[in-house]
Amino acid sequence: MGSLLKLTDTTKQFQGLRAVDAINLDMKENTIHALIGPNGAGKTTTVNMITGVHSVTSGTIEFDGHDITGMPTYKIARLGIGRTFQNIKVFPTMTLLENVMVGGHQCTKLGALRTIFDIRGAKREEEMLKEKAENILKKLGLYELRNELMQNLPYGRQKISEIGRAMMTDPKLILLDEPAAGLNPSERGELIKVIKAAYGEGLSFFLIEHNMDVIMSISDYITVLSFGKLIAEGTPQEIQNNPEVIASYLGEKYKQKMAEE
Amino acid sequence: MEKKSNTMNNKKRNIILICTAAAVVLILPWILTTDYQIMVMNKVLIYTVVVLGLNFITGLTGQMNLGTAGMFALGAYATAVAATSYGISPWIGLVLAIVMGLLVGRGLGYPSLRLKGVYLALTTIGFSEVVRLVAANWVSVTGGTTGIRNIPYYSLAGYVFDTQTKMYYLFAVFVAFGIFCAYRLADSKWGRIFKSLRDNADAVEMSGVNIASCKILAFTVCAIYGCIAGALYAHFMGYINPSSFTIDLSTNFVIMLMVGGLGSVVGNIFGAAVVTILPEILRVFENYYQLIFCTIVLVGAIFFPEGWMFAGIKVIRKMVKKLRKREHITGEMGGGE
Ligand SMILES: Nc1ncnc2c1ncn2[C@@H]1O[C@H](COP(=O)(O)OP(=O)(O)OP(=O)(O)O)[C@@H](O)[C@H]1O
Ligand SMILES: [Mg+2]
Repeated sequence: MGSLLKLTDTTKQFQGLRAVDAINLDMKENTIHALIGPNGAGKTTTVNMITGVHSVTSGTIEFDGHDITGMPTYKIARLGIGRTFQNIKVFPTMTLLENVMVGGHQCTKLGALRTIFDIRGAKREEEMLKEKAENILKKLGLYELRNELMQNLPYGRQKISEIGRAMMTDPKLILLDEPAAGLNPSERGELIKVIKAAYGEGLSFFLIEHNMDVIMSISDYITVLSFGKLIAEGTPQEIQNNPEVIASYLGEKYKQKMAEE
Repeated sequence: MEKKSNTMNNKKRNIILICTAAAVVLILPWILTTDYQIMVMNKVLIYTVVVLGLNFITGLTGQMNLGTAGMFALGAYATAVAATSYGISPWIGLVLAIVMGLLVGRGLGYPSLRLKGVYLALTTIGFSEVVRLVAANWVSVTGGTTGIRNIPYYSLAGYVFDTQTKMYYLFAVFVAFGIFCAYRLADSKWGRIFKSLRDNADAVEMSGVNIASCKILAFTVCAIYGCIAGALYAHFMGYINPSSFTIDLSTNFVIMLMVGGLGSVVGNIFGAAVVTILPEILRVFENYYQLIFCTIVLVGAIFFPEGWMFAGIKVIRKMVKKLRKREHITGEMGGGE
């Protein structure tokens, strides 16, 4: 299995704070790779560096054979990385369908002038986009809500719709920053189903999550960060039993709960 | 099936609406009694073009632009100087105006990538003032504060558009074309991208969209519309001078956009018409007409932030619904007997 995403000594320094400290991470193709760690560990910062939102202080990031260190966000996205945000970023004044369709804009060809005068071509493109978005919404179980304004949808639905928007670019990898946060248990169940189904179709996921049920049930491999440093990596089984991870993140209670089950 | 007949109905309704609008536009000069009234209509048409463009920046992309007077002035001066100093045809002047628009769109688009909100608004004001000051001081080219006189009318194959009515029909054609383009663009994937930029630019960029080029596109469209309108204005007025292109004009364009409702092409036309015509009607109040007009606009902005037209449509829809409900109820009662 080749490597899909590779961080080498990647570091982010915010003035006095070393938010991410020389981490090395190798994510394989066709996996669900989780990144966990206590609050402020540098997980979101890592994702922000991968997506070019933050510059990298030192080290490199490779994706699918390309060196993406220092590339602008939109170019990184075009190489096949999609993303959702910890604090959701949606278009509240637009409908759910429009929200998802924005994700597919990049895959269309017509420039502004041709959009105006090539009436048939523009219509064809629009229908193509719409059909694709509708199919994705069906997969997410949100099809019935497609004409609702985003701001009128419950938080959980808005959050899941971000995955749909990310899927519109046909990415190889989607970075999910705490997708289950703020979701109720049934929505969480749906989320896991959605991720598993997309994984089954060949998508890889890089997943930040605090909810251990979600993590343990879907991830193939886990990396643990604490205070910017990589403190452990391994399969879910290995991580659950790693004393350092239990001490700094999972806690003794978690161990007891696991033992009971 | 139902969906299909629905879109058919919509299509029919749209065709009827467009035909009615066209008929009204065609017969308006016969209804209006004085040349002055037609002149006001001509202003409405020219301002509509500006607002159609401004809609892309302030309406859809959500960035305040108080520099439309500058764009308007550049278009006007480009064609006026070309026509009076070099004897160049106003039609080529129109092309010059478009080139101006392309340049200005880029020039203002770049700062918009870094500046937001008030700072961008101030930058656009600055741009507009620079244009006005250059026009006032570059005497050898622009005629300074006295401006440029004797700007020729548009003419086509010997036919001169020299009366208000003739110009009215010419401008109506321009506006129709402008509406067509604006509608096609605002209603397309581009309009959608502009709106999404207003809501959340980060999410758009993460979808692989080069947001810098999209913002520049929005500014360029706005500038082209503004410059074309300026060119029409120059040949409509026959003379121009820097005092016509102050910040007041820019604010007026923003008010037109607000009154019509941000983001809607039909609203743009409505806004341009109301804000141009209403003060003329209010002139019966003599000294107080400006005060009354401003009060109306202010109250409107507070109570109908989505634009007067949409507020009106909402009220009508509600009334129709209520009436229907009543009919329904009485109908059911009748059935029960
Ligand atoms: N733009 C920034 N400027 C300065 N410091 C920052 C910035 N962004 C994050 N930090 C700091 O970097 C550290 C890591 O933050 P980060 O958001 O990556 O944590 P996280 O692991 O995602 O935590 P959480 O689980 O709470 O989301 C924190 O101490 C945070 O305060
Ligand atoms: Mg975070």
